[in-house]
Amino acid sequence: MIELERISRTFQLGDEPVHALVEVSETIARGEHVAIMGPSGSGKSTLLHLLGCLDRPSSGSYRFEGREVAGLAESELDEIRQRRIGFVFQAFHLVPRLDARGNVELPMIFAGVSRRERRARGDAALAAVGLTPRASHRPAELSGGERQRLAIARAVVMQPSLLLADEPTGNLDSRSGGVVLDLIDRLNDEGLTVVVVTHDPRVAFRADRVVILSDGSVARRAPRAQMAEALAAWGLGEEPK
Amino acid sequence: MSPDEVLRFSGGALVGHRLRTALSLIGVAIGIAAVVLLTALGDGARRYVLGQFAQIGANFVAVVPGKVETTGGIPGLGGAPNDLTLDDARALERALPGARHLAPFVVGTESIEHGDRRRQVLVAGATAAFRDVRRLEVAQGRFLPPLELERGAPVVVLGHRVARELFPGGSAVGEVVRVGERRCRVIGVLAPRGQQLGIDLDEVVILPLATAMAMFDRSSLFRILIEAEPGVPLESIRERAREVLVARHGEEDVTLLTEDAVRDSLSAILTALTLALGAIGAISLGVAGIGIMNVMLVSVSERTGEIGLLRAVGASRAQIRACLLTESALLSGLGGLVGLAAGWLGTRVLVRIWPALPATPPVWAVVAALVLSLAVGAGFGWLPARRAARLDPVAALARQ
Repeated sequence: MIELERISRTFQLGDEPVHALVEVSETIARGEHVAIMGPSGSGKSTLLHLLGCLDRPSSGSYRFEGREVAGLAESELDEIRQRRIGFVFQAFHLVPRLDARGNVELPMIFAGVSRRERRARGDAALAAVGLTPRASHRPAELSGGERQRLAIARAVVMQPSLLLADEPTGNLDSRSGGVVLDLIDRLNDEGLTVVVVTHDPRVAFRADRVVILSDGSVARRAPRAQMAEALAAWGLGEEPK
Repeated sequence: MSPDEVLRFSGGALVGHRLRTALSLIGVAIGIAAVVLLTALGDGARRYVLGQFAQIGANFVAVVPGKVETTGGIPGLGGAPNDLTLDDARALERALPGARHLAPFVVGTESIEHGDRRRQVLVAGATAAFRDVRRLEVAQGRFLPPLELERGAPVVVLGHRVARELFPGGSAVGEVVRVGERRCRVIGVLAPRGQQLGIDLDEVVILPLATAMAMFDRSSLFRILIEAEPGVPLESIRERAREVLVARHGEEDVTLLTEDAVRDSLSAILTALTLALGAIGAISLGVAGIGIMNVMLVSVSERTGEIGLLRAVGASRAQIRACLLTESALLSGLGGLVGLAAGWLGTRVLVRIWPALPATPPVWAVVAALVLSLAVGAGFGWLPARRAARLDPVAALARQ
């Protein structure tokens, strides 16, 4: 599903080149649930943006579903984001003027899905995250947990193969965070590949395995059984304040 | 993404920011209303002037004795110009089948009195045709009867104000007045007409041509007005009249004026004025355009996160650009329609205040205003739309 080979990403910050990722290689199989952890500035988010085709690597090879991303035109990347990848952000990124239904339908508008089909698929997606009664509420009228569930509904409404989540529970209390994580687990059980970037070990423990980044490189990989030990070794075992 | 989806999405964005949308809409509306109103004013002025000419009966050639031209001849050697005589008028009448009316006349000033009321007036000696050529209307009585050119008659037609002043509260028709040394019976009073191209027709009294010529002891005519039959070009009348008079006088010692030349140049001047007024309106439209650009730029930076999100869910740069351009075009297009309505209303008010001014916005100005408003939206919306389309999605998503 995802094959990264010696991926590097360098930003130019003034005169200084900043090496956000240095020769990262990683393979993620279809249906996997992977957590990416690491201290701030370790390159987690950069990696997530590369995986999501929002950014391109400076060097190295990224194959997504067998296609080399580096060689694709921008319109093809747009299409991959549109149809194959769903994003969930810490800050939800809902459009405030649109109600829940409008937010869920947003990706389908730009994909050219007909109005009638949009309505049907949007309502199904809202039902799947338990937001049917809130369909005509705007984001400001929803609780944090409801907002993130709405964002997840939006992320999966185009039936992508990959869900990328950046600190999905970062703005939530633990109870509604748990509901959101349950939802992500359920989607993963249904076959969706999930990659989640987090500081929060409770989020990581839901994953099949964890990849720990440090200074732009993979510092450690650990399956669930060794996750607690690995996180502790990197000082990531504490819940964030 | 179909155009109507773009329209719905962009319209939704505008509705989501009501105050901002309303304010920039008003900006455009003021610009368009200014264009419409100012061009309506200018065009109204033009048509008012043309209407004045039509009222006078501009479709005539005026034959004026003397050459109204500066020549390099030695004074005295060219000789005094020949008089323009009644015989000239008769010759012209015979030679010009294309002339509908031929009105020779003289003017002078005389005193007019009735009882103890007395005043100076402009006296015109004219024929029955004078009424047709100058489109005069008679309020009471009748105009001069048709007479042989050299036959006089002791009758007079009074201008409206002259009649009112000599006969306050009473009817003038049938009364006898003294014009200079002569007693004349009032046979008619003209309808009020007012100032027209510098002559106040309400202050005039009209005598038969021969009577006036005898009164002023004059054998030369002041002018001969020749009105063309409808469809006969003035130019041909003018050329034929020139030939006749040159043949009679042995030299070209008359000037032939057509009023349409004056009218055309006035019309051109007023059209230029209308354009200038329209341009002033267009400037305010330009200001409104800058306002739209400003609002759209603010909107783009305010919605950076949203634009990043749209990119993340697969919207292309072209789609983002189309949405924002549509947004600004909607702003200016709607503003244009509102402005058009306001301009039209303003024009109605103008016409209420000055009924004499036929102020309607010219069609070209209305079309230009609408095209201009859309162009303003698209033109000034371009920069913000481009900026939005070029946003780096990662950086945009990071902004809150």
